[in-house]
Amino acid sequence: MGDLTKGAESGETRKARTAFFDREAPFGYGLVLPAVLYLIVFIAYPFLMSIYMSFTDAQAGNRTWTFVGKANYSKVDSYELSANDFVIATFPSQSQADDFIAKKSTGQQVTDAAPAGLFRGAIVIAGKKIAVMAMPSADDASFNASSILEDLQWKARKTIGGKYEVVAHSETPLVIGTFPTRAALKSAQGQILVDAGTRIKANGTGVLQDPNFLLAIKNTFKYTFGTEVIKLFIGIPCALLLNRAFRGRKLLRGLVVIPWVIPIAISAQAWLWIFDSTYSVINWTLVHWHILAPANIINFRGDKDWAMFSVVLVNVWRGFPFTAIVILAGLTAIPDEILERARLEGANAFQRFIYIIGPMVRPILMVSLLFSVIFSFTDFNTIWIITKGGPFDQTQVLSTYAYQLGVNAGYLGKGAAVSLFMFPIMALMVFFMLQFLRREEA
Amino acid sequence: MADVVLEKVEKRFGDVSAVSGIDLTVQDCEFLILVGPSGCGKTTTLRMIAGLEDVTSGDIRIGGRSVIGLPPRDRDIAMVFQSYALYPHMNVYKNLSFSLRLRHTPKAEIERRVQEVAAILGLSGRLNRKPRQLSGGERQRVAVGAALCRQAGVLLFDEPLSNLDAKLRVHMRTELKRLHQSVKSTMVYVTHDQVEAMTMGDRIVIMNGGSILQVATPLEAYDKPANRFVAGFIGTPPMNFFQGMLTATAGQGSVDLDGGVHLPLTRPVPEGSNRAVTVGVRPEHIHLSAEGRGNRQKVAATIDIVEPLGHDVIVTARSNAGIFQMQTEIYAGLRPADTLDLWFDTDRIYLFDRETEWAI
Repeated sequence: MGDLTKGAESGETRKARTAFFDREAPFGYGLVLPAVLYLIVFIAYPFLMSIYMSFTDAQAGNRTWTFVGKANYSKVDSYELSANDFVIATFPSQSQADDFIAKKSTGQQVTDAAPAGLFRGAIVIAGKKIAVMAMPSADDASFNASSILEDLQWKARKTIGGKYEVVAHSETPLVIGTFPTRAALKSAQGQILVDAGTRIKANGTGVLQDPNFLLAIKNTFKYTFGTEVIKLFIGIPCALLLNRAFRGRKLLRGLVVIPWVIPIAISAQAWLWIFDSTYSVINWTLVHWHILAPANIINFRGDKDWAMFSVVLVNVWRGFPFTAIVILAGLTAIPDEILERARLEGANAFQRFIYIIGPMVRPILMVSLLFSVIFSFTDFNTIWIITKGGPFDQTQVLSTYAYQLGVNAGYLGKGAAVSLFMFPIMALMVFFMLQFLRREEA
Repeated sequence: MADVVLEKVEKRFGDVSAVSGIDLTVQDCEFLILVGPSGCGKTTTLRMIAGLEDVTSGDIRIGGRSVIGLPPRDRDIAMVFQSYALYPHMNVYKNLSFSLRLRHTPKAEIERRVQEVAAILGLSGRLNRKPRQLSGGERQRVAVGAALCRQAGVLLFDEPLSNLDAKLRVHMRTELKRLHQSVKSTMVYVTHDQVEAMTMGDRIVIMNGGSILQVATPLEAYDKPANRFVAGFIGTPPMNFFQGMLTATAGQGSVDLDGGVHLPLTRPVPEGSNRAVTVGVRPEHIHLSAEGRGNRQKVAATIDIVEPLGHDVIVTARSNAGIFQMQTEIYAGLRPADTLDLWFDTDRIYLFDRETEWAI
């Protein structure tokens, strides 16, 4: 009896065990586990860590990090009020305005006490007294008024109302004053007694107050959209060409992708030589064809006007094969019969491209563009190898600036903050592109 | 007037001859079917008429005007493709009106024609749909509609029904035939399906190996096949073929099939036409009894396989002359391994020269 029960039991456990190994769900989770671990260790952890770091004063070499709130993103120490143009006087005719400007050298600056303990700076020209602004200190008031009188250029300008106004203009903005709070700035703004196009700048240690950061954002957009537009302009004709039947087409299709498959660290070395300030083959060619005088050779990486062009060129060279191949895939997916029908119905080559090929390739083109934009927007390698963000930060993009700030300068928290700015911008771009794709499909 | 005339039209792809010098005339408002097995040159012929393929030599005239060298859009033709070739990004309205819009036809005229065509084809409620949202039959109708909208003199069809399921195909066959009766334009229709050819065409052109074997009405093609290929191609189940010897004595002919089966012929055969022949008998001309229409000759046979189709059955049987098929009623109650005498209708025996394969 006992033996029998024992036998039945062991039979049951064996059954349970095989059932467990037979079940597919645990096996599936087992297979997915490495990928989940990878995502956690290499994607989720660094991402969350950089979010955390961007809220601390993390610095290279510091053992303890303290929470500093949004200080890395935005921390204003003072507000600076400045203006380029001050409208001093208005006249009904041009000659009267010119007369007034001619008497500029005879002008005098006076400072009076004004109500509420302020001092009013004014200019006196030909007996006419023009109050410019009121300020808490007599020195500031007289300094600003005399700057307008002596340092700024005066010009007559026609207004929309048909009158003529005299404008004191400064190329670099004239700093009227710095204020600790926005409220103080607002009240000072109210005390400017002439029409002035004032500008407010926040000075501080947050990245939003950092002019280099703002420049990096601008450069990132320039770099991304510059490369994407050029990639399309080269990629589309290239794909159309590769879609035609000709001898050696397969070979050419293979050759086109070479820039894309060569590691950028290697190909960029070649580009460094092509852009070399002394040995540049582009300069050499241009000089030999007498297009360029030897004295005017281009310093591709050192000249601030050429540096952006150079990095864009390298990125285009590297990225256009991807665009071309993706578009080519879209082109080959169009059945011959559809193009034949279009031909039969009277569409010439241009009309076939505009009405049939274009719309049919558009969805896949958008996908390629999406990828390409992401690659360019976050591109670090190309710029770092070619220009390192220079000269004068003219090619500094968000990724290189984050590296400069976080790793080279050691401000880990700020570097993290800079790099995190890419996230919402990219998320928005991706959102709009996906939205567009979805509408295409509907 | 849109008749189509092909004169010694030849097409070569490199060393391969796809169409070898065919002559063909399609009458105005005729529904002509080009039929043949894959690779027989029927689609190439159609594409040459459309202008999608160049002609190696020969002349094609549409409405009396030579169209050699003319681009497709100037040939007064419209074409329906096998895969329908609908523009996936355009809705039905735009698909139908594409050719008209390219020609800058006035908006009101486009609207009128599209509505008219949509009404004929039952697409009025579908004009705002994309092709993806349509059923196979509806897509097919849009493809036909796009061709109709152009009001071209000649409509070309390249196996338009081959992507449909069997039931829909039968339905569309009738629809296309009705359409031809209402729109009055010349239609050239390519198919590999002999049933389609027989049911739809005013005339059938049977092609094989780049040549035209016979141009005939469906009845003629069935009744008087010009050669062995046509005889085997037209009709389901296909004609039975036996090897035999033709002997003519005093105007009276007879054939001796292999295995000692002797069939006297009822029609006169010219003296001296003794030769090796292929003998053709249609399955529907083999009967179970001696009674009935035509002269009948007895052949002993054993039943192998019985395939019921409903009212009819197709019976595969063995005789001394060879294996053959016959068609009879299911009520005859035949079973495999039955041994019985079958009766061949000797009035309806086809003879083909074994060398040339042409009919005698």
